[in-house]
Amino acid sequence: MKKTVELENARKVYRLGDEKVVAVDNISLSIAEGEICCLLGTSGSGKSTLLNLMAGLEKPSKGKIIIKGKRVDKMSETQLALFRQRNIGFVFQSYNLMPMLTALENVSLPLTFRGVPLKKRNQLAAEMLENVGLGKYLKHRPMQMSGGQQQRVGIARAFVSKPPVVFADEPTGNLDSKTSLEVMGLMLEMARAHQQTLVIVTHDPGISKYADRVYTILDGNIETILENH
Amino acid sequence: MNNRDLLLMGLGNLFRRKTRTVLTVLGVVIGTCSIVVMLSLGIAMDRGFQEQLSYMGDLTIIDVNNYGYYDGGMGSGGQQIKLDDQSVIQFQKIPRVTAVMPVRSIYMKMAAGRYVGYVNVIGIDPEVMEPFGFSVEDGRLLQASDRDTIVFGKSVAYDFYNPRMQRNYYYGMNRDNPPPVDVLSAKMVMTTDMQYGETRNRWQDDTDSTPPKVYDVRGVGILEESNSEKDYSAYMNRSSLEKIMEEERRNNRNDRSRNDQSQFERVRVKVDNIEDVESVQSAIQALGYQTFSLTDILNSMKETSRMIQGILGGIGAVSLLVAAIGITNTMVMSIYERTREIGVMKVIGAQLTDIKKLFLIEAGLIGFSGGVVGVCFSYLISVGLNHIGAGFMGPGSTSGMSVIPLQLALMAIAFSTLIGIVSGYSPARRAMKLSALEAIRND
Repeated sequence: MKKTVELENARKVYRLGDEKVVAVDNISLSIAEGEICCLLGTSGSGKSTLLNLMAGLEKPSKGKIIIKGKRVDKMSETQLALFRQRNIGFVFQSYNLMPMLTALENVSLPLTFRGVPLKKRNQLAAEMLENVGLGKYLKHRPMQMSGGQQQRVGIARAFVSKPPVVFADEPTGNLDSKTSLEVMGLMLEMARAHQQTLVIVTHDPGISKYADRVYTILDGNIETILENH
Repeated sequence: MNNRDLLLMGLGNLFRRKTRTVLTVLGVVIGTCSIVVMLSLGIAMDRGFQEQLSYMGDLTIIDVNNYGYYDGGMGSGGQQIKLDDQSVIQFQKIPRVTAVMPVRSIYMKMAAGRYVGYVNVIGIDPEVMEPFGFSVEDGRLLQASDRDTIVFGKSVAYDFYNPRMQRNYYYGMNRDNPPPVDVLSAKMVMTTDMQYGETRNRWQDDTDSTPPKVYDVRGVGILEESNSEKDYSAYMNRSSLEKIMEEERRNNRNDRSRNDQSQFERVRVKVDNIEDVESVQSAIQALGYQTFSLTDILNSMKETSRMIQGILGGIGAVSLLVAAIGITNTMVMSIYERTREIGVMKVIGAQLTDIKKLFLIEAGLIGFSGGVVGVCFSYLISVGLNHIGAGFMGPGSTSGMSVIPLQLALMAIAFSTLIGIVSGYSPARRAMKLSALEAIRND
């Protein structure tokens, strides 16, 4: 199995005044290509920091982070931006759609950053929205949509450029249980369809049932690893 | 991200915050307006000077005068340089000189029938008349073969009067009536005797001396009105005039003013174009002559107006500076508001340069639109000023109080855009450096 995401003795320490807060203590893990994996933990367990480290949003205090064979922790801001553009999709808890853009424009935004021509990217974005069941909402703005619909737009945006790795940070955190199920189903479907690696951070054990492998995080360390088959 | 998308996104962001955008643009409008209008006043002043001067004479002519030039301060002992045929040849050799016109003149009395008039007669070489801008309204210019012929300036004929009548002529003021003398057809004479034709007082007449000779002359042309010194003189072939002067000198030994016949009173030098006047003038000065040209005046006037323009422009610049601060402020505010948005953009794949460009474009657009609107307003203000100022500047002036050349308008737009971009630069850098992490905070 090819490794897509690898962590070697990753450690992240924050300084709050004189006090040191260890968010990620010493974590090593590796996620294979096409694997759907879940980081489960309570609030304050360090799971979000772990995700930030993997996505290159934060630098580790120690250790290595390797995505698709590249040392993410060694990259400069500019390199990281380009790397994210090519390799990483992101689903946020609070959707984070651009309020002034329509659903279609929001989904096509990552393609815009890549310089895909207007016609092509609109076509791809429309297809994605169709796939997430929002074919009739292309011209709607985020304010005109429900939370579930917004999150589906967010998912379409994360997957539209077919990135090898998609990170989802509490994707169902703001949704009711029924919508959560729909959203999770959508993400899995998409990831499986193109052999994309999906990393989900959640505090909800119910969500973790969907993953191939579940890492339970406690106080900055991996407590248990559970494999679902 | 391609530039078109960036531009559209920038526009979208500006439209999203209409009030703030409009207010910031308004600042730039005021700034641009004040600079453009201020400069337009200065430019109009410049044009006015040039126009005034061109009424006074040709700007491409340098006068070399025979005032007796002393090389003061150089210690060479005040040697006087003669202005003679030799000098004319020297001047002709200077590059960019198209014609040289040595001038002699004599003040004469002319008579035609009952009418007499005082006329300044200038001796001129017929072949340089054209390069020096002489052109006739009626008749013809002088020719090399002419001897006793005269070409009159437009105003000369109006100066004739009938000495037996009550003196009620106006110096060329009353142009509604035809002049008292038709100089082209009348049989005319001229003389250096200033009493000629006047009602004489026989008893006081000095009968010992022979009265000065009376010469027959014939008018062949009237010059076009030029509103310059040309209108007030009569022109004669130089060789003929020199002969007359020589004769007068022999008859009247008391004439002290023309003790050296080889020297000219002045030599006029015509230059290719205005730009070359200065270099030719300094070349002549280097030969040791005293020169004068209207360009001298023009230059000093220009210097004055440049100073005034600088002051006016400076006042305008202050308001544009304020506008620039306004742009920076708006962009900084915008960044605070959009911190999260910027972070999200970074996370989902925006390049750092894209973010920087986006903000620069927004700031540039503010500057650009402010510049465009400001220039439009400036044209309106300019029209208004010219309307108000029309009476104040006098009817002869065509340029008015305020002139906005196209270059100024374009420069103003380019400059305000540049100001926008410069003001947006530091906020744009700040936006670029914002942490992408901000986006993921769930607050």
